[in-house]
Amino acid sequence: MIKQIKRMMRMHRIFVTQELKRMMEYKANFVVGVIAFLLGQITNILFIWIIFSQIPDLMGWNINQIVFIYGFSLIPKGIDHLFFDNLWMIGHFYVSKGEFDKYLTRPINTLFHVLVERLQIDALGELIMGISLICVSVPKVSIVWSLEKVALTIVAIVFATFIYTGIKIGTAAIAFWTKKSGNITYMFYMVNDFAKYPVTIYNNTVRGIITYIIPFAFTAFYPACYILTNANPLYNVGMTVIISIVLMTIGIVIWNRGIRAYESAGS
Amino acid sequence: MIEVNNLRKEFKKTIKDPGLKGSIKSLFHPKTETIAAVKDISFEIADGEILGFIGPNGAGKSTVIKMLTGILTPTSGTCTINGKNPTHNRKNYVREIGVVFGQRTQLWWDLPLRETYGVLKEIYEVPDDKFKERMEFLNEVLELEDFITSPVRTLSLGQRMRADIAASLLHSPKVLFLDEPTIGLDVVVKHNIRNAIEYINKKEKTTVILTTHDLADIEMLANRIVMIDKGSNVFDGTISELKSKYGQIRELNFDTSDAKAREKLAYVKQFKTKKEDIIVEQEGNMVKVRFDSSIVPVSEMLSYTLGKIKVNDISVKDADIEEIIARLYKHEVG
Repeated sequence: MIKQIKRMMRMHRIFVTQELKRMMEYKANFVVGVIAFLLGQITNILFIWIIFSQIPDLMGWNINQIVFIYGFSLIPKGIDHLFFDNLWMIGHFYVSKGEFDKYLTRPINTLFHVLVERLQIDALGELIMGISLICVSVPKVSIVWSLEKVALTIVAIVFATFIYTGIKIGTAAIAFWTKKSGNITYMFYMVNDFAKYPVTIYNNTVRGIITYIIPFAFTAFYPACYILTNANPLYNVGMTVIISIVLMTIGIVIWNRGIRAYESAGS
Repeated sequence: MIEVNNLRKEFKKTIKDPGLKGSIKSLFHPKTETIAAVKDISFEIADGEILGFIGPNGAGKSTVIKMLTGILTPTSGTCTINGKNPTHNRKNYVREIGVVFGQRTQLWWDLPLRETYGVLKEIYEVPDDKFKERMEFLNEVLELEDFITSPVRTLSLGQRMRADIAASLLHSPKVLFLDEPTIGLDVVVKHNIRNAIEYINKKEKTTVILTTHDLADIEMLANRIVMIDKGSNVFDGTISELKSKYGQIRELNFDTSDAKAREKLAYVKQFKTKKEDIIVEQEGNMVKVRFDSSIVPVSEMLSYTLGKIKVNDISVKDADIEEIIARLYKHEVG
């Protein structure tokens, strides 16, 4: 077991190095990509700033808390985006074009291989933005920090990341039957936009969906709620962990079944 | 030892009416039918053998190869390599094999070729000293030196194919699958690649399973042929067996100044055969007669022809393997 984890970490390092080398091959593209993404994020932030400056208070949440929640939501999203973006390729063309063959002829777990193969550096834009928003808002919201809170925050970020990853794995793997599933992943993924704001601002239907059906609320609002107010860590962080494990398990089950249904493509 | 036992693969296919209307209809009321692409195929391959695996387009070759390489899960039946089964333990199984799909590449497209080998070394857990030794060997056989530092995207097709073969051999697999390894290559590169395959087979006793549409590959390399068509095994044996089984076709070529030679030679009437057993073509002075020597002996054919018209020059040719296989594919024999 330990040997296996060691090997996976080693493989991960090798693939990441490979990706970095790949990016260096196309320097101009890389630099422009990062700039474009940062510009996109800046417009985004200006936009919410304009909105929030008009509504200083939102269902009991003040502007700084909202900014904190928004910033926090970008962290797990950004980490997943940075490391596990390759899953999109499964639903868009690896399966329909038969490119998935390659993974099946190699002696490593296919899902692991797909996950670690690509690095999506654009995601740094999200992470930088998330961290900046948190840095801006933290001094203005009175958070009581404790060792327990720091630990739970890290736990929440890790498991929240795997909520994204789990949903992407499960929806991407549908492609093994339908050949393409990029739009399914996209549909689920886009629900995360709702999770950037306090869920209390939504009506019961939307709140129900992002809490219980496509539970992105646990990637941001609920854990952030605990960090900001100390409220109910058992639910706010505990459910994040449970949901994350459940979604990853479902994703992996669908994936493993999908592989048996994979039909490749004519040669 | 590779054992293939009643291997079968069925695909579900959606039947659609033509056009957008058909597509929309099928979206709401999908009709499916099950198609057996591979129908209970069995064969065995001994260690160190080079097997030519052939068949017309759409015969199910790729499907079989993909089941043997762990890509597709068989509907029923098994394939095992040294007792290992891809359905039960894929990771363990694929360590034994190397795979090259001529139409695809497993190389890291954007990076210098060398980087690919570095990653594959890790994937297959090849120790450092073994890796060094292996790279030297592959370098020698496939001459990678000239382009090992070039990005893969800049390689020519011939270089890329050599690089891909090297990639599939890095972990010293016992079995090498080559799916159309010479597709699109010029004669010199083809020749080099065949030599390399032969050398590796001799030197390392690597079992090779080769699919190709270039029958020269088969003639030069394969000890044995398995031919499939419409998902079933139609021939299993050596090239000389193939020739003696189906190769009774001879081609008689002669040069005559008689412009009406074709009309004068009433072969069908003379030998009382069916029309398709003797085919006569005339182009100017050259006449070509294709016939089955098991129906009409060569000697009788010659004496009849020479007795009937004046011939300046004459020759009799064996049908080559290409011709036999073309006839098999077209279901003219067998």
